Amino acid sequence: MLRTPRQIRWAQAALAVFVLASWELLPRFGVIPRLFVPSLSEAIGALYEYRAEYLAHLPATLVEILVSYVIACGGGVTLGMLIASSPRARRMALPVLRSAYAVPMVVLYPVMMVWFGLGMGSKVAFATVFAFVPTLLTTVAGVASLSPHLLETARAFGANRWQRILYVQVPASLPTLIAALRLGGALVIVGVTVAEMLGAVEGLGFLITRHRTLLNSPGVYGGIILVLLITSAHEVLLRRLEQRVQKFRES
Amino acid sequence: MTQSAVSARAVTQNFTVEGQSTLALDAIDLEIPPGQFVALVGPSGCGKSTLLSLVAGLRLPTGGTLLCNGEPIVGPVPQRIGMIFQEANLLPWLTAVENVAFPLKLRGMPKRERLEAARAMLDLTGLGNFADRLPHQLSGGMKQRVSIGRGLVQDPGVLLLDEPFAALDEQTRMVLGDEVLRIWARTGKTVMFVTHNLSEAVYLADRIIVFSARPGRIVDDVPVDLPRPRTFSMMSSERFGALKDRIWAHIRDADH
Repeated sequence: MLRTPRQIRWAQAALAVFVLASWELLPRFGVIPRLFVPSLSEAIGALYEYRAEYLAHLPATLVEILVSYVIACGGGVTLGMLIASSPRARRMALPVLRSAYAVPMVVLYPVMMVWFGLGMGSKVAFATVFAFVPTLLTTVAGVASLSPHLLETARAFGANRWQRILYVQVPASLPTLIAALRLGGALVIVGVTVAEMLGAVEGLGFLITRHRTLLNSPGVYGGIILVLLITSAHEVLLRRLEQRVQKFRES
Repeated sequence: MTQSAVSARAVTQNFTVEGQSTLALDAIDLEIPPGQFVALVGPSGCGKSTLLSLVAGLRLPTGGTLLCNGEPIVGPVPQRIGMIFQEANLLPWLTAVENVAFPLKLRGMPKRERLEAARAMLDLTGLGNFADRLPHQLSGGMKQRVSIGRGLVQDPGVLLLDEPFAALDEQTRMVLGDEVLRIWARTGKTVMFVTHNLSEAVYLADRIIVFSARPGRIVDDVPVDLPRPRTFSMMSSERFGALKDRIWAHIRDADH
């Protein structure tokens, strides 16, 4: 069992079918109360029933994710690259950042609502703060795991600091950059959704909370499915990127 | 008097690791005339690679002066000094020819020009047909040929080789040794060659500098009076053996 890639694919498909079937059947036969978990078909039905509402709220969530992604992941990776390139900066900044990492950022959300209001501003601010430091730390850790030989070679051939970052450090750490984006992106999606659930006037998280308040479980799960789809789309994009990078890693 | 290509005057190097200071090089004096092929040998950790990285300008000595063509070395000057490392250290995402062209890219040379120059270098190192391969598609010896091409591409007067063949098998080592000699004979560069292999040192060099164990000091300066071109059969000659014995005696003594 599970030897060839084909067998593994079959097993994966079987597992997926099992999970989806359980989701459909367990609530249907009363094993799980429908208020806790409505069946899959009910959730999809709700998705269809409230489609106009979901579609109206989806853009806000996507825009918030996109903007936070650019700021948190772009900024985290860029700053991480700069810090990693200098031993002195690493020694100075890393202890502070690691402590920052330990702060449960969600306690800041009420403050951010006061600062940035109930609209997109507070969602972007929270998701950015939530994802920035982990992205940065993953980037630094990735760069630190690189062999110093390539950088030393580049230095021997006259590369200045910027050239070393641009021509050696960044391309050499692309695989770990993808790991940083995977983590950062997931945290951005979590951050936006959580912020919308805690206090907002639009977005998928807002809808999920509203349906929950009305005890409309299928509506809640419809929203959850949409959030999962966003997460999956992010993962698919990263896989694509990973495959393009992979071809140089065979050595 | 002709000016030395490389001069070391009372060069001292200290390393401080966790508050512990170690003397790696102790007052090294060395004059290398232009065009000479010098091998540096000595027990492991004797500082010969350290001296090379100082000449390359990768770090500054704790004390003393290093000069290249009479000018102080204060940082890497790749146009004057080319470096070839033990591991080829090629950038894995660049093809062979792009790797060779890399130092020219750092200098801002336009793409077409630098790739043309790099192709010529690959032809010289016998790898013209593999220009567009990625490093992981090349054997160890081929990678090192790319690395040699990269060291030569700016036509530096001085070439530093830090145990360039240590990771290769014996046959590849012999072939590449001849290759380096051929390139050296054709270009007349000054060569500093660090090696653990005494036969390799005697076979290649005009002159062998023998280092003591740490702290590194020069304990012997051996002129190699074998005729050129060097041939494989010379390695079994009496003179070759005598030179090797003389060097080996120092290294054995240093190990106590």
